[in-house]
Amino acid sequence: MTDTDAAVRLESITKRFPGVVANDDVDLTVERGTVHALLGENGAGKTTLMNVLYGLYQPTSGRIEVDGETRTFDSPRDAIDAGVGMIHQHFMLVDTMTVAENIALGNEPRKYGGLAVDQDATREGVVELSERYGFDVDPDQLIEETSVGVQQRVEILKALYRGADVLILDEPTAVLTPQEVEDLFAVLEELTDQGKTIIFITHKLGEAMHAADDITVLRDGKHVGSVAADETSREELAELMVGREVVLEIEKPDVDVGEEVLSVDSLSVTDDRDVEAVSDLSFSVREGEVFGIAGVDGNGQSELVEAITGLRNPESGSVAFDGESITWDSRRERIDAGMAYVPEDRQERGLVMEFDLVENGILGSQHADPFASGGRIDWGESRVHAERVVEEYDVRPPDADADAVSLSGGNQQKFVVGRELERDPRLVVATHPTRGVDVGSQEFIHDRLLDLRADGRGVLLVSSKLDEVRGLSDRLAVMHDGDVMAVVDPDEVTEEQLGLLMAGERPEEIPHADSAAPEGVEP
Amino acid sequence: MSSATETASRSLSRTYDYLFVGRSRLQQVVVAAGLVALLGLVGAAVFFPETAAADLVAVLTDSSTLAATLRLSVPIAFAALGGIFAEKSGVINIGLEGLLIIAAFTGIYATDVTGSVWFGLFGGVVASTLLAALFAVVCIEFKADQIIAGLAVWLIALGLAPFASTVVYGGKTSASVATLPTVTDMGLPFVSAFVTTELGFVVDLPVFGVLDLQSSLVGLPFFGALFDAGPAVYLMFVAVALSWYTLNRTAFGRWVRASGENPKALDTAGVNVHRVRYAAVLLSGVLAGVGGAALALGIGQFTGSGPTMVNGKGFIAIVAYLFGNYNPIGAFFSTILFAGLDATQLTLQARDVFQVPRPLVRTIPYVAVIVVLALFGRTRLPSAAGDSYDSGEGE
Repeated sequence: MTDTDAAVRLESITKRFPGVVANDDVDLTVERGTVHALLGENGAGKTTLMNVLYGLYQPTSGRIEVDGETRTFDSPRDAIDAGVGMIHQHFMLVDTMTVAENIALGNEPRKYGGLAVDQDATREGVVELSERYGFDVDPDQLIEETSVGVQQRVEILKALYRGADVLILDEPTAVLTPQEVEDLFAVLEELTDQGKTIIFITHKLGEAMHAADDITVLRDGKHVGSVAADETSREELAELMVGREVVLEIEKPDVDVGEEVLSVDSLSVTDDRDVEAVSDLSFSVREGEVFGIAGVDGNGQSELVEAITGLRNPESGSVAFDGESITWDSRRERIDAGMAYVPEDRQERGLVMEFDLVENGILGSQHADPFASGGRIDWGESRVHAERVVEEYDVRPPDADADAVSLSGGNQQKFVVGRELERDPRLVVATHPTRGVDVGSQEFIHDRLLDLRADGRGVLLVSSKLDEVRGLSDRLAVMHDGDVMAVVDPDEVTEEQLGLLMAGERPEEIPHADSAAPEGVEP
Repeated sequence: MSSATETASRSLSRTYDYLFVGRSRLQQVVVAAGLVALLGLVGAAVFFPETAAADLVAVLTDSSTLAATLRLSVPIAFAALGGIFAEKSGVINIGLEGLLIIAAFTGIYATDVTGSVWFGLFGGVVASTLLAALFAVVCIEFKADQIIAGLAVWLIALGLAPFASTVVYGGKTSASVATLPTVTDMGLPFVSAFVTTELGFVVDLPVFGVLDLQSSLVGLPFFGALFDAGPAVYLMFVAVALSWYTLNRTAFGRWVRASGENPKALDTAGVNVHRVRYAAVLLSGVLAGVGGAALALGIGQFTGSGPTMVNGKGFIAIVAYLFGNYNPIGAFFSTILFAGLDATQLTLQARDVFQVPRPLVRTIPYVAVIVVLALFGRTRLPSAAGDSYDSGEGE
């Protein structure tokens, strides 16, 4: 590698936080006009390293070089001025403003001697930029009316509008649907073709290999290797990431299925806008079975799960648990009956962000044994419980007194999964249980779900990861537009068939699952 | 019988749909204002003999009612505008009432000392801005709970102003000072001076023309009041328009909105969130200051007993801008509605048509806001309102 053509060079970057070394002597060289993936598990120090490059953190020691010049960034402003832009995992957009207003925020073109914003110039600038890079955005749309994919493009445009040559993307695919991920990669290619440099943070091997030219792997804050994407393999990368071999295949022992735990009958649910999101669905989950639901996000999965878990009232139909109707039961009654729930949005529904893990650990069981004693909460017992979850599910940092907000997304997820699975449930409703979680922990969560299955519990699994939902499920329902397209045998179905089903088409021959197509579902 | 009520309810709901569904906030406020007024009139006609209803119509269409409405609107509208800026930036300024009180007293005191109502107005603005600055420091710098700090602002002013009045004037009620003149009072010298010095040309005829026009406009039924109001009323019109423009068309306005919706987005875009919030809260102090001083200087005396002469106008201002969904123009029309109800009630009592207990009328804004919010539920709080912002190293 020649030094002259490096867009970014980080040398011996060390970043210490009180009690933690987040980055330990890390080197990184990113060639101009390439896509560079920064790969590692949750907590490997990827985001910290990039926050150092973006000026959000100052390195404890080390040198930053951009375009061959040594730089010190005191704030993101300095980094932006040097042509470095960052797109955070959580978008920094104002929902109530338009696309163009967001892109220009803080850099508004003025007229009338600086008195007013020149809205026409803003629009033109945005249109010009998005045409140059082949982005499809409507400058006058409100952010709250756009999809996540569009919001991400707006974030990228925002950085480009400020003259960024180096773009850092933090877990850009975490919130996207498979189709949007493809669109994003096309955008990245277009950007590098025009001379921009991309660094993207990910913990997904496949993505790094697919979209990047070079890959740098971090583990425990240390640089463990840099490889060219076309000269490596998934196994090599996985080994670098976790330092041991990972079984990427899911092994599923045979289990005898028992009675129906959950049965959903002719259920119809409307969404927040009163539009029917789930139409007349019926299916059941039996003991010792993982029932998977695949589908592109936004096809009614959320509303279905909310109706089952008691967060949304159905329009019609019924939900039965252990043969008894729970259609109108409260959340508490469902939890007490033995229904655990791993919510889609951990920060919104899974945790109270300002609470520590001891408090978060008893959410949902605060009124029950062994945590409640005579109207008071037994904090000793609660602490023991939280510490057990932290320990077993490898939540880092291993500190039950840490506030939920201080944990990284993947560790928050591990804690929520741990709390729910430790309820000793009859049925687990798990939506995206491994979203944002590193490979090692994914494996662990999968194993725990399979343990429950082996133990004769039911699992309703909703996931947008096809290999996960195929690997774990005994029967797999594909949802499209509020409807179940088919209930298939996940071992037999091909990816093409799934793709067609998810897109709302019915291939001629599909491998229906045994006892598939429960009554009410039209073939 | 039941089918009759059914048809009635159906036609009622159809009318409701026609009037409200698919309309903008502003239209709804106007429609609601019209309906409330109409219902009030019909109600009066039903419950009282013809004469009273006829009197009521006379009162409603009287130009003095509009004059009183405009006069009563001034403090509420200014405070509401101030509240919009503060809350849009993410700082809920519940202390508007306090800002009005402190400005009212200081306005009188400064007029008394300097002998000029204009210096008095300025003094009121300064006092209110200083108190707002204290509030801003406590909320923004020290991240105090905004509601509690806002209540403190109110309580401080509620204690301080009557106390100062007692020290200076020997009682909770101040001495009388000059009042703000009306356009007619200011008359020819003012208008011609304005034309010559401000507009830069001396023409005799147009001045007389303007004056003639003004005096003939004053003679108009009902709307005549619009042309014979005090300077504070015209200042209010200007302030409403300017506030709307600032919020929607300037970069500062956008930063204010972004600061209240997603301060982190504004921060990462390189704009200092704290600075924007300080500016917005100080602006709310300036605006409320004009309102409070104008209120006192319209009467020429500060009354400090009980809830003081401000008497809840700062809280009605909060209701008004919520009612207007943070739109300065919507807030203005809500203000006119509330002030209009008050003015009508005052005129009715003055003419001894029939007695509506004043406390009852004063509850109308609060009842109305609950009904309207429950009915439409479209007031949208800025997402980050009430949250202090820490630009330190997050995540």
